[in-house]
Amino acid sequence: MDEIQEKPKDHAQTRSWGKYIYFPVILVLLFAFPLVKPPLFFLTLFFSVFMYVGLTESWNLMGGYTGYISLGHIAFFSTGAYTTAVLMNRLGASPFATAILGGVFAAILAALVGYPVLRLKGAYFTISSLLLAVVMQLIFMNWEFVGSSTGLWYKLLPVSIETNRLIFYEVMLVLATVITVVVRWVEKSKFGAGLIAIREDEDVAKTMGINTPWLKMQAFILGAFLAGWVGGVYGYYMSYVHPEVTFNINTSLLILLMSFFGGCRTWTGPLLGAVVLSLVNQLIVTFIGAEISRILYGLLLVIVIIFMPDGVMQYVKGAFMRVKG
Amino acid sequence: MLQGIGVSRRFGGLKALTDFDFLVEKGQIVGLIGPNGSGKTTLFNVITGFYPADSGKVLYHGKDITRCKPYEIAKLGIARTFQIVRPLLGLSVLDNVTTAVLYGRENIGSMAKGRGRALDLLRFVRLDAKKDVPGQSLVAAERKRLELARALAIKPEFLLLDETFSGLNDTEVADAIKLIFKIRDELGLTIFLIEHVMKAVMGTCEKIFVMQYGVKLAEGKPEEVSKNPAVIEAYLGKKKHA
Repeated sequence: MDEIQEKPKDHAQTRSWGKYIYFPVILVLLFAFPLVKPPLFFLTLFFSVFMYVGLTESWNLMGGYTGYISLGHIAFFSTGAYTTAVLMNRLGASPFATAILGGVFAAILAALVGYPVLRLKGAYFTISSLLLAVVMQLIFMNWEFVGSSTGLWYKLLPVSIETNRLIFYEVMLVLATVITVVVRWVEKSKFGAGLIAIREDEDVAKTMGINTPWLKMQAFILGAFLAGWVGGVYGYYMSYVHPEVTFNINTSLLILLMSFFGGCRTWTGPLLGAVVLSLVNQLIVTFIGAEISRILYGLLLVIVIIFMPDGVMQYVKGAFMRVKG
Repeated sequence: MLQGIGVSRRFGGLKALTDFDFLVEKGQIVGLIGPNGSGKTTLFNVITGFYPADSGKVLYHGKDITRCKPYEIAKLGIARTFQIVRPLLGLSVLDNVTTAVLYGRENIGSMAKGRGRALDLLRFVRLDAKKDVPGQSLVAAERKRLELARALAIKPEFLLLDETFSGLNDTEVADAIKLIFKIRDELGLTIFLIEHVMKAVMGTCEKIFVMQYGVKLAEGKPEEVSKNPAVIEAYLGKKKHA
């Protein structure tokens, strides 16, 4: 097998972590950030950035690699949030044990709805995934056990609000990192190669011996699990869940837009999209005004879609290649 | 090796395939010809599990595979190409083949090993120079070779080729004929091919099935079939008597 040695060095999958040496540095800085006692505003802001990184990366397993655009990701996120809310509110369970259970319940939900929903393709899949979120919101609005339309409050941890924020800042940072690493691993693995083949041509994928329904199911469940986990942590952080807030369809749209903004074919795209768009969104809303934010946001997306249809990441790479010759 | 017994398939009122019997023996190169719309591709789609047969059976090594799903058929060792070539356009040539190697019958887990095998196959079809090019920038003849490499990547025993020669010029057809023989002789595959390019059919096949309106019109050696009056009529129409 001497041909393995002569791998092309520009080949995407053969890149090592070496190229991303600045990632650990940024991570350490982010991890240490609370030490400088920043205003709560920044902790909250960064928390939401991490949350969107986690959601967008996990969404990308189906949306980016497999080509199944889901608007139902918020349903898995909310399942996670409600799992921790109910477990704490009704049973007094500790947040750190139950956040991952949020992921487990979301995964179970994905397994149940995945079987019928994944038989649909294109717009039909997208619409049915949206319906999942809408129907679940209605159910949760009317379900006494989970607080119906009054929502559920968490009991706060017996620490100060600052410490509380700090803990969840760090937890969400770790979670976002874990999710990004998992998604990157999928992209470079046999699993990812199979998903990408499904995106490119599902019939051809079958002739390659890929059990396409099962592979899609795995990606769907993994994405739901990760989103549910994020939801579990989010619920604690907000200390309140309400169907109108957690099932907000705008969040689903935002995830999709972030992914397309950065470029949904690689793990770096959603990361960039989630960071840039959530920062832009929050900063403009806070310092300039919500109306201006909407306009700029829309403008930015129009520009990206027209001039960089493969996302900013791909565009920058292409420009870099052209400069290099 | 591959046998069909009374295979039928209809689309609404259209009988695409009626009571079609066929037999391909190990090591043979067998052709399937017929005018456009005569049901050739439908037969391939039934064999590979893309369309379920309405009635009849497909046997592979004597085992009933009529109800198998496409990926199960692939795992059994039956590979196919598509009439309208379908490279995975966004992926590089190498990645196209690598994915098939990974999920094929060898079921390789390591990307590096899969890539090594894929590169061997690209050399075999003489496409290794283009390995890093995206599928969409290949010209027609190269796309066909990629399609072939991808089919071979699952390590099949049996190969179904759907119009591999169409749209090729004379030199390319001659090259492709050589490649078909190479696939049979060096890789030991049995080949069943749909073809319109008569030169290719006559040059490669030892047995030919002729199909019209989903029904078998004739079967036999190329020279016999080409003299068969029913076949001539199907292709050229009835002779007018002055």
